[in-house]
Amino acid sequence: MPSSPTSNLTDDRSWFDRFVDRLPQTGIMKFVAARILVPYWAWRYPVQKQPGGPPFSIQPGDNVQRMMNLVMPLKDKSAVGRAIAALAIAQNVDEIYAGLDNVGTVHFARFVIVDNNICMMSVYDGDFTNYIRDFIATIGSVFDAVVSLVEGGDDVIPSEHNIEKFIDWVHAHDMYQVPDLATGILRDQEALKGDTAQTGNDDLRLLPRDLILQLNVNTNVSLGSGYRAYPGYSAAQVRRQFGIGW
Amino acid sequence: MDDLPLAKRLVDAVISDFPDHQPGTRPVHTIGIGVEGCFTASDVARNYCVAEHFGGEPVKVSVRFSNGSGSPKQHDGWSDVRGMATRFHLKDGAATDLIAMTLGEFFSRNVDDFFAFTAAARQTPVGRESPWRKILDMLQLVLPFPDPYPGQTQSGDAGTLGYANQHRFAQLGVFQAGSIGAPVSYVRATYHAVHTFVVTDPDGIRRNVRFSWQPVAGVRTYQRTDPLQPDQYLQQELRERLAQWPARFMLMMTIGEDGDAIDDPTLPWPAKRVRVVMGTLTLTKVADDQAAAAEHISFNPCRLTPGIEASGDPILHARRDAYEESRIRRGGIACPFSGGPSNAK
Repeated sequence: MPSSPTSNLTDDRSWFDRFVDRLPQTGIMKFVAARILVPYWAWRYPVQKQPGGPPFSIQPGDNVQRMMNLVMPLKDKSAVGRAIAALAIAQNVDEIYAGLDNVGTVHFARFVIVDNNICMMSVYDGDFTNYIRDFIATIGSVFDAVVSLVEGGDDVIPSEHNIEKFIDWVHAHDMYQVPDLATGILRDQEALKGDTAQTGNDDLRLLPRDLILQLNVNTNVSLGSGYRAYPGYSAAQVRRQFGIGW
Repeated sequence: MDDLPLAKRLVDAVISDFPDHQPGTRPVHTIGIGVEGCFTASDVARNYCVAEHFGGEPVKVSVRFSNGSGSPKQHDGWSDVRGMATRFHLKDGAATDLIAMTLGEFFSRNVDDFFAFTAAARQTPVGRESPWRKILDMLQLVLPFPDPYPGQTQSGDAGTLGYANQHRFAQLGVFQAGSIGAPVSYVRATYHAVHTFVVTDPDGIRRNVRFSWQPVAGVRTYQRTDPLQPDQYLQQELRERLAQWPARFMLMMTIGEDGDAIDDPTLPWPAKRVRVVMGTLTLTKVADDQAAAAEHISFNPCRLTPGIEASGDPILHARRDAYEESRIRRGGIACPFSGGPSNAK
């Protein structure tokens, strides 16, 4: 619930004012919001799911060090299932490292298991589709082993025979990157509806609800584009600068 | 009204948003405090800009921190944009200014927008929403209107909100301003110069850049959910702080890329752009003569020095003559633009 600013009030508030001002912090209101209000408004004003990955941009600085945050729910949601996923990675370390070196545009990549999701977090340069194509070409077999453990994964493997389908599947599991700017989510929602107008009949006070409803459909998100201490360099530039080549 | 020079109309428009504005004072950022210190460029600054103060020699500075309001009443604890105007004192009596604020973007793309915005921002009576209205807001997951501060009877918030609802370019600025809060100290806020400038490096390469001051002490802000602070604490806090130790800011310069909004101050640049540390500002004492350091001093965002140029941002250019008009009205110390501005309508 958006909370009401209350503590600056003078003491002339009635008991009812004070009660209402405290209401958003109460358990009952949080329960009502989560169980009744959000489902109701989500039904009343359906929000489309935002696509994963960074937004499209032609600018050089936006096309280096891009984030891919895949969240893939495991079929087997037990310790055994998680262990099988961990072994699938551990048994293929050489293939993963050699493959990522061959892709050549990856800064960092790691697999993590969060609850019952196996996640691949990576930072790469260039176009997403090309990244995944290179990925399939270099370590597709490892990824196939991982994807086979994931809900819905059987439909897209072997990846080398389902390239376009596999790219779409990865994109669908990539986290939506919530814009850095507070009102950016409004622009993203307008973009999905094809609304590019400069003027509108909006209600800025609905921004919290817009955010809530978006996070209701995009449950895993990246918050902003992330901090970078040294922005704007590709993996190749960094390696060249350090004299360690490819 | 339209026959008046543009600068006069701009200043009149700003003043119209503050019914209790006092003639002879600044139209906005009326209440401020002057501070002294020095700026030392980083080792890399000179590689990006040939301006004198980026050469490496420490440069004396005068800084004026301010509250954004044009009202003579001081309400430090109220949510408001704060200002940080910096004068770099260069050789032979020359100077250059950098004017920044805690808001990262502006409300208006151009002068016409600005007039429309200031017209919308006129103050109207405010009161506390009824509890029933608040409950209705909660049920709709709508952000409730903030309760007025004690003694606050008027606000421009409803007008600016209405304007932003109709003009998407203003939404970010209005939203951010509405939740900006009050800094715990003038030296614990980030200040953005907002406009694009063009800097020239020793090889003659010109870059579009934006500047911001980042506090070494870190950012900390009182929000409306925190206990209300007294009306006057920021200046005293600064005096006490600087009596004990200096306060520092890093000057960050963000380099724009092709396609970034160069002439539109409503559009912040993406956080991913290259940021260069251009130097460190060290503030050492509150000026003894506050009449000179906080009132008579006249800053101008277009008081630049070789190596730094204004971009084509129409708001930046309009500010040049508006600041000069404001200076004349309050009898401030003359700046280089006195007598020669092109006050085109």
